[in-house]
Amino acid sequence: MKGLPYKIAGLLLILFSLTYGLWAEVPELPIIEQSIRNLFYHVSMWFAMVAMMAGSFGNAIRFLSSENMIRDRRSISLAEMGMFFSVMGLLTGMLWAKFTWGAWWTNDPKLNGTAITMLIYLAYFVLRNSINDPRKRARISAVYNIFAFVMMIVFIGILPRMTDSLHPGNGGNPGFNSYDLDNGLRLVFYPAVLGWILVGTWIAALRYRIRTLEE
Amino acid sequence: MKNTWVLVLRYFSQEVRNSNVLFSLGLYLVGVAYLIYLLNGGSVPADKVWNTLLWIVVFFGAIQLSSRSFEFESNDYFYYYQTIAGPGATIIAKLLFNSAYIVVISSLTWGLFSVFFGNPVYNTTLFGLALLLGSVGCSVVLTLTSGIAQRTQGNATLGAILALPLLLPILQLTSVLNLQAIVGVPTNEALNLLGSLGALDVGIGLLAYLLFPYLWQD
Repeated sequence: MKGLPYKIAGLLLILFSLTYGLWAEVPELPIIEQSIRNLFYHVSMWFAMVAMMAGSFGNAIRFLSSENMIRDRRSISLAEMGMFFSVMGLLTGMLWAKFTWGAWWTNDPKLNGTAITMLIYLAYFVLRNSINDPRKRARISAVYNIFAFVMMIVFIGILPRMTDSLHPGNGGNPGFNSYDLDNGLRLVFYPAVLGWILVGTWIAALRYRIRTLEE
Repeated sequence: MKNTWVLVLRYFSQEVRNSNVLFSLGLYLVGVAYLIYLLNGGSVPADKVWNTLLWIVVFFGAIQLSSRSFEFESNDYFYYYQTIAGPGATIIAKLLFNSAYIVVISSLTWGLFSVFFGNPVYNTTLFGLALLLGSVGCSVVLTLTSGIAQRTQGNATLGAILALPLLLPILQLTSVLNLQAIVGVPTNEALNLLGSLGALDVGIGLLAYLLFPYLWQD
């Protein structure tokens, strides 16, 4: 099996974060309390999503410069995986918000960013489905992918910094800022991010191979 | 550069010749503004609602405009235009033309709203600048997405679907600025936001310029 080390590493890291995340020592914070553990499960989804989307974006650029269909198949497979992570991130986040803020959905810049990211990539899938010629589909959707990724980064990376957010670590919240440095949290969080990225790449690679076989 | 200018003039004359389209767009603006007036029972909406309604009217007007943006480059005409003008000149001309068009639409809407609901804007300079930058940003997104929709062979609704999520960041930033102008924040205190909106416009404009050649081929 190709790339066995990274696949095993990814699985082990996820297993570690899922189990150790439940019994690790966490800082005691008001309001957030034990739900701080969601950092391992929820925030890592977003990191993995951005990594997948960035991979898709990179492949779209390389498709435009090389016209190589392999790049197109990688691009769409990674975008699908990114979409999956964003759905997971949204669900874990909503669950957490219900218990911490008391509502499933609030008017928060980060939530808006998520909603728009999902809309953008859903539009990307719609666009792909509406073109039949594979080469043309690849070229046009690569153009949209590049433009969409830049807009998404503006929306989730730049705009939220200019406004207040309810999210821990932003605005006037009992934030992670001082606890972000908590090494106990980092010990679980970073492996979780890495593990999900590795496994995400693995699944995307499988989707890519299915696509290749189909053609 | 000369090519671009010729194209812009050509788009204008095309638009004037098709004056029924121009007329219907104007009628749409007046009609919707009056509809809001009627449904609202003739009372003046709160500032935030005023601003939201303004942008919704502009948004649909701009979508309507952009759905026809590449109408004349469809089918066989596409190859004709491809031979007489390169992609660079075409996209710049389209961007200039659409920006001017959407700026006109948004200022007209502002005027209509002032007639029906009064003008709550305190800092007119800031509001005007935000309207201008926001319209330019919208036109960049709409031009590129309608170009994409045109290449998929006449799927008119697709353009709107593709543009909608991409427009939200621009519209949100613009309407924050507009609200500041309504409360009367001095222009020099909003320079930070104005600058980011301007930078966003320039950035996506460049991106559209770089990406368009890949659409403009068969």
